[in-house]
Amino acid sequence: MMFIARMIAREMRSSWRRLLFFFVCIAVGVGAIVALRSVIQSVRQTFAGEARALITADAIITSNRRLDPELLSLIERRLAEAGAAELESVEIATMVRASDASAGLTRMVELRAVEPGFPYYGRMALTGGQAFSHDLLRDFGVLVRPELLAQLRLQVGEGLLIGTKRFVIRGVIEAEPGRRLGAFSLGPRVLVSMEDLHATGLLAFGSRASYQRLLKVPDAALDGLITTLRADLANAFARVRSYKATEDDIGEDFARAEDYLSLVGLVILILGGIGVSSVTRVFVQQKIRSIAVLKCVGARSSQLLAIYLAQVITLGLAGSGLGVALAAGAIAAIPAWLAAAATPGVAIEYGLTAPAVLQGLGIGLLVSVLFALVPLLDVRHVKPSRLLREEASAPRRDPVQWITIGAVAAALVALTVWQAGSWRIGLVVTVGFAVTALVLHLAGLLLIRLIRPLAWSRWFALRHAVLQLSRPGSQVRIVLLAVGLGSFFIIAVRSLQENLIAEFAVDLSPEAPDMFMLDIQPDQVEAVRALVTARQDPGAPPPRLLPVLRARVVGVQGRDVQLENYEDVRGRGSLAREYTITYRTALEANERLVEGAFWSDAGPTQPGAEAGMTPATEVSVEESIRDRFGIAVGDVMRFDVLGRVIEARVTSVRHVEWSDSRAGGFMFVFRPGVLDRAPHASIAFFRAPSEAAARGRLQADLVAVAPNVSLIDGREILQAIEVVVDNVTLAVTVVGSLVVLSGLLILVGAVAMTKFRRIYEAAIFKTLGATRRLIMAVLLLEYGLLGSLAGLIGSLGAVGLTWGIARFALEIPFRPLPLLTAAGVVVTGALVAAVGIAASWDVLQRKPLATLRAE
Amino acid sequence: MRAPVDRRPEVVILGDSLTAGLGLDTPQGFPALLQQRIDERGLDFTVVNAGVSGDTSAGGLRRLEWALEGNPRVLVVALGGNDALRGLPTDELERNLAAIIDRGTREGLEVILAGMEAPPNNGPEYTARFRRVYRDLAKAHDVVLIPFLLDGVAGEATLNQADGIHPNAEGARLVAETVWHALEPVLTVASETR
Repeated sequence: MMFIARMIAREMRSSWRRLLFFFVCIAVGVGAIVALRSVIQSVRQTFAGEARALITADAIITSNRRLDPELLSLIERRLAEAGAAELESVEIATMVRASDASAGLTRMVELRAVEPGFPYYGRMALTGGQAFSHDLLRDFGVLVRPELLAQLRLQVGEGLLIGTKRFVIRGVIEAEPGRRLGAFSLGPRVLVSMEDLHATGLLAFGSRASYQRLLKVPDAALDGLITTLRADLANAFARVRSYKATEDDIGEDFARAEDYLSLVGLVILILGGIGVSSVTRVFVQQKIRSIAVLKCVGARSSQLLAIYLAQVITLGLAGSGLGVALAAGAIAAIPAWLAAAATPGVAIEYGLTAPAVLQGLGIGLLVSVLFALVPLLDVRHVKPSRLLREEASAPRRDPVQWITIGAVAAALVALTVWQAGSWRIGLVVTVGFAVTALVLHLAGLLLIRLIRPLAWSRWFALRHAVLQLSRPGSQVRIVLLAVGLGSFFIIAVRSLQENLIAEFAVDLSPEAPDMFMLDIQPDQVEAVRALVTARQDPGAPPPRLLPVLRARVVGVQGRDVQLENYEDVRGRGSLAREYTITYRTALEANERLVEGAFWSDAGPTQPGAEAGMTPATEVSVEESIRDRFGIAVGDVMRFDVLGRVIEARVTSVRHVEWSDSRAGGFMFVFRPGVLDRAPHASIAFFRAPSEAAARGRLQADLVAVAPNVSLIDGREILQAIEVVVDNVTLAVTVVGSLVVLSGLLILVGAVAMTKFRRIYEAAIFKTLGATRRLIMAVLLLEYGLLGSLAGLIGSLGAVGLTWGIARFALEIPFRPLPLLTAAGVVVTGALVAAVGIAASWDVLQRKPLATLRAE
Repeated sequence: MRAPVDRRPEVVILGDSLTAGLGLDTPQGFPALLQQRIDERGLDFTVVNAGVSGDTSAGGLRRLEWALEGNPRVLVVALGGNDALRGLPTDELERNLAAIIDRGTREGLEVILAGMEAPPNNGPEYTARFRRVYRDLAKAHDVVLIPFLLDGVAGEATLNQADGIHPNAEGARLVAETVWHALEPVLTVASETR
């Protein structure tokens, strides 16, 4: 034991320079992981806070009817068991007016009644910096939105009639947490207290209301409570949702971002491991002579293994420690430059988190050992005879080594799954990793075989570059593997990042529509258009109006089909449901023609209507209609449009990108000509004036022009989404840059490690009369070739991996990025060549005699 | 467009999602149930379902012409639910419904006005005004009034779908019963005078 301890000390003292890179690899890897994890956890906490603010609670139970008393007591019992608190809230739409009867104006509002303690999360912001407290609502106080004041010509302090009661306006709501994203808004928000709502008599039999119970639950109990409550309320028309809910889109995006961030942490880990592995391999090769000496004097393989393993552990720990320090420094630097980029209103607190530090240290150690283990096992094969005979035999693999490789692989898969936070992503990454590694290995073998004829080239540099690559025990395999996998991961992370951000890209440009109108009748279209255009900010794009109709499919292909034949799985809706349809002469930006041809003009307006034989018009169906109901181009479909049957021939199939529904998404689009004569309303979307008062006035004046038209103001919703999207994009970009940075460092190291071999060869070449220039040409060709090949295989692997993850794990559409991929190949090749030359610089400079003597 | 074979006199039901049968299979909706009743009684009428989900009285007025292009004899006006849900002005509702009834009577149709109620959460003033619109119109235009289309159905959890607005199959049967009560005498008279 003493022997081992003494040897560790001696070895470390003598070879610390050579192990410096091992140390750096681990430090960078761990530093990246810790910094990343800390950032992830900080961002996640912020997201979690935001997600909570969106529902103003940890969880929410909603129902459109009052729950039975038994159910309520059951819920209360469950909450007590979980240590949770609850608040009741009710939302209804109601008509209000100024309480002095002379003003006859009434207006529909969305009233929310709350109990003291609301909101659990998020902040109720009132204008003029007024602080929100429940006391403002007590005794028939009410808080309102500014547009209501404008519409009813009221001021703070005046009275508002809600139901049968007079309320006093005590403040103006600037921003409100928990405004349901994407929900239809029937009018501006009005906030009252729960007791006062009961006094208004608005909650009577037949009232339409959303009954909500906002829950504040200790974190540990949340998931369990949600599961229990869902089971309890399964038959009660109530929905239970936690802030983590992936049910709505935002929730899904959160989950995706988390998965992505975890995956990235893992990538850095593996990059570090590659570095460690190549360092250890080279280290063992260099130590062969001293190992042989030690064996001569009676050291056992197990003792030697213990010595080197202990060194690896020491280095791993020390490197991890340095990594944590690096991470602390990096994180301290973040807020400075992030402050400018971050969205105002959302403060992300960045800091080292304890779990991240512990995980970093643990992973650093684990990766050091796992990746060093296989090369270290070579120690056992070193024979004392090596001292006398120099032989460059390729290391043979024995069963112990294979078993170790298997164990290490299994441990890595487990790590992958753990770090990615999902079996699916973990497996996709592992499979991608294994396939790429295998391809790289085979490519290496193939490359050597392919270029062997070039060894007879007349050009010295090429001849020797080829000889270098093809001789036994060359660096081809290591570099190909390290660089190939490195570029594989960097390109994969980059393109995943592009895919993710593209998925997030809601159109939030200043021209994007933020107000919508429903139910515009044909005779109102021009007046509405004129009103909107007159009120829009200068430079805003003109409003868009789409005609919409409702139709049912009543038959296909002339057979008077009973629709059950075409009925799909119940619940997903049958073909017979009411569809919203439209007509136009061109495809929208979010549509793509899949089959057939889209008309470019209006069809005949007077078809053989009464003949009833020829289809009156043409229709283009969405892909899913074709796929689910087996409807093909050429079929004749019969539609019931407002009580009349219209036949249309299917002449094309379209694909609609539903996630981008700015131009609307329609299952059926008709050729103009026939449907225009059917009565129908239009919907409009446009950019409303930015000033709140102007928006209020627009709404008020719209009532005069077209009283039936409903207006939906999406501004606040868009703003809320914008904050979330900005944060996610920021986090994803920061994290992606970190990967590229650490990946580059580790790749540089892996290439540089091959330099120890080069010193000796360069010395021999020089002795034999080679110029520095010639040696450089050899190096350039050798590394350039290797780098390009590794880059190529890595890029192809990355495309596969991105596709796999996008398709199976994140469930987002895959966008190939040819430019990024091509750049990956070129940059990898150039980088490897440059690093190869740079790392060998002192080799070129060194006098051959010094090198040969040292050996 | 309409198959020329079918030239039976029509009962056109101009309505919204309640008529369209949102969330129900077509045969479960109250118009289909009425057709069943008519056929059972051996009456010679076709029920035309001119229900459009989400439609208001304003929308109904604008598509009246389209709905009446066939061979209508009876017009059932079942609109107003969406006006109430969206809190649209009751004056507008009254004007639109009056125009629809006028047009129907001018064409010589038997008009039946199906009454609707605004939910209590809209506030007592609005709900009272809303209810009055149907009473007044029926009286002024001398048409048959169904006091409340969703009588005995609205607000009953067991008779409505999960959204609490639209009747389920059982609820639709009750609605058909309510409408039939007003429709049957009208059809009987109409068949005799033909």
